[in-house]
Amino acid sequence: MAQIIFDSLIRSSTLALLAVGLTMVYSVLRFPNFAHVEFAPLGAYVALAGATVAGLPLALSAVIGIAVCGGAGILADRLVFQHLRDRSPIMLMIAAFALGIAIRETLRAIFGPSPRNFPLPLQAPMEVLGASVTTVQLVIIASAVACMLIFHGLLTYTKLGVAMRAAADNPNLAQASGIFTERIIRAVWFIGSAFAGLGGILLGLDTQIYPMMGFSVIVPVFCAAILGGIGSPYGAMLGALVLGFAENVGLSINFAFLGSLVGVDRDFLFIPAGYKPAIAFVFLIAVLLLRPQGIMGAARR
Amino acid sequence: MIEFLTYLLTIIGIWAILALSLNLQYGLTGLVNLGHIAFFMLGAYGSTILTVVVGTNVVVGLIGGVLLAAAFGALIALPTAHLQQDYWAISTLAAAEIVRLFFKNTTIGGTYQGGPHGYSDIPQPLLDTLGNQGFGIFYLVLVAGFVALSWGLVQWLTGMPFGRALKAIREGDEVPRALGKDARWLRIRAMALGGGVAGLAGVLYAHFNAFVDPTYFKPLETFIVWSMVILGGAGNHLGALVGSLIIQAIYNSTRFLAGAVPIDADTLGSLRMVAIGVLIILVIMFLPNGLVPERVRRYAHTRRRQGSD
Repeated sequence: MAQIIFDSLIRSSTLALLAVGLTMVYSVLRFPNFAHVEFAPLGAYVALAGATVAGLPLALSAVIGIAVCGGAGILADRLVFQHLRDRSPIMLMIAAFALGIAIRETLRAIFGPSPRNFPLPLQAPMEVLGASVTTVQLVIIASAVACMLIFHGLLTYTKLGVAMRAAADNPNLAQASGIFTERIIRAVWFIGSAFAGLGGILLGLDTQIYPMMGFSVIVPVFCAAILGGIGSPYGAMLGALVLGFAENVGLSINFAFLGSLVGVDRDFLFIPAGYKPAIAFVFLIAVLLLRPQGIMGAARR
Repeated sequence: MIEFLTYLLTIIGIWAILALSLNLQYGLTGLVNLGHIAFFMLGAYGSTILTVVVGTNVVVGLIGGVLLAAAFGALIALPTAHLQQDYWAISTLAAAEIVRLFFKNTTIGGTYQGGPHGYSDIPQPLLDTLGNQGFGIFYLVLVAGFVALSWGLVQWLTGMPFGRALKAIREGDEVPRALGKDARWLRIRAMALGGGVAGLAGVLYAHFNAFVDPTYFKPLETFIVWSMVILGGAGNHLGALVGSLIIQAIYNSTRFLAGAVPIDADTLGSLRMVAIGVLIILVIMFLPNGLVPERVRRYAHTRRRQGSD
């Protein structure tokens, strides 16, 4: 039981970092950035290169990876999306899809298709409340929580955060009130992409680093953002939490009792692990059908 | 050389059918279907399972594959037809992955068939009578016939009141609603029709390649079809054909590069995708209507009566 909760928290941590960034860019620019998840492998590979090729300590190279992702976000906006501000969200969406593929395949061309690992010594897991946990996993959860707290502080107590929320609420009104929207957009790209980069580093610490690591979580990340109400950062955090638990709890429930209802007499009836991504999808469809505005979002249609 | 050329033209033809079907959904109706490859896969797998596992002939396989893909189109449109385009995009992407997961995790027809192994020995019609080269040419003619048929179908649909209603939906739900058209139902029909045509491409591919497995149907392939439609010009069916010609030519030309430059095939494959990605971004930025823009139809007898066209 404790193990499931723990695994879910790790999953939620990485999903939350990616979903918050996605939802931030959406809130200001009003398009779903399909390239967003590709900042995850970018951050992870830069951190890996820093730690192995340059021989820096892992923490420092992680910071470099995060900063590079933030810069790459601004660069993506400068090179592509800035020129498409007056286009329909559909065009932005397709451009983002193309950009995502370009980023991912560039990384694949440089680092190769085979999975890599961060240079970490093997760790003996320790027992915490009956669950076996490694220090790295604790670091993953702690850094995600710390980021969310810092982000909350930024949104609530700083001028930039207030301006970001204003620009998200009503870009025209924000501009009219003297908030320089382009600067806000740059800040949003930087923070959102940097979060995605950190999310990628944490994913890499938890499992492995490979070019598809970002795209492989695109459905759960979008699902978390939509579940929370797209455009709402707190909603995305909550959505990630719900989804992280849904994925892990869903796989560990014995559905034999349902089988007996329809006449299938089996002692064990689990969702096959190969269908784990399907859980996010079922959630997505259910949310879109029942509450498209999400848990926290206001009606937007 | 002749063999490679017939191969290339056949592949271009199959992808042209895919591009036409996406153009029906996106170019005409404005549906951002990011799971288009699922229809292709359902067509390929539907026909493969019918011919290899059940043992029917290829014609039954073709009909079965097309119907399966069309049914799936209607099925994913049913719960999602009222959604905004951004939500629609992610749900179709997810639906396509579920289809791929299903076939990856399900073994139908024996121990080493289906699942990750895929299917081999898919019947190739008339291969024994015609020989390898004859089959290549026969299949090219067959595919060309189906391209013409699909082209005729989408062109005919575009000219019909149905096609004009689809174009009206693309511009927003208000106009069709004011005219008493059910936008949701039209979207479902567009998805089913486009899905069926894409399924046809899948059937043709399976019996051409004689082998399919789940790795052939990744989201990247959907993007290739999208790049064809965007480059050619969304909404114009000729554009879809031009787009598939150019993109497939780029895609296959790297075969010849492989011997000429000191880069291994895997890296070259990645660089090729980077090139297509960058190309599409540039097209969106500088050539938003594509190489063959959609013709804006003017109605001579109603011109500017209301002060606008």
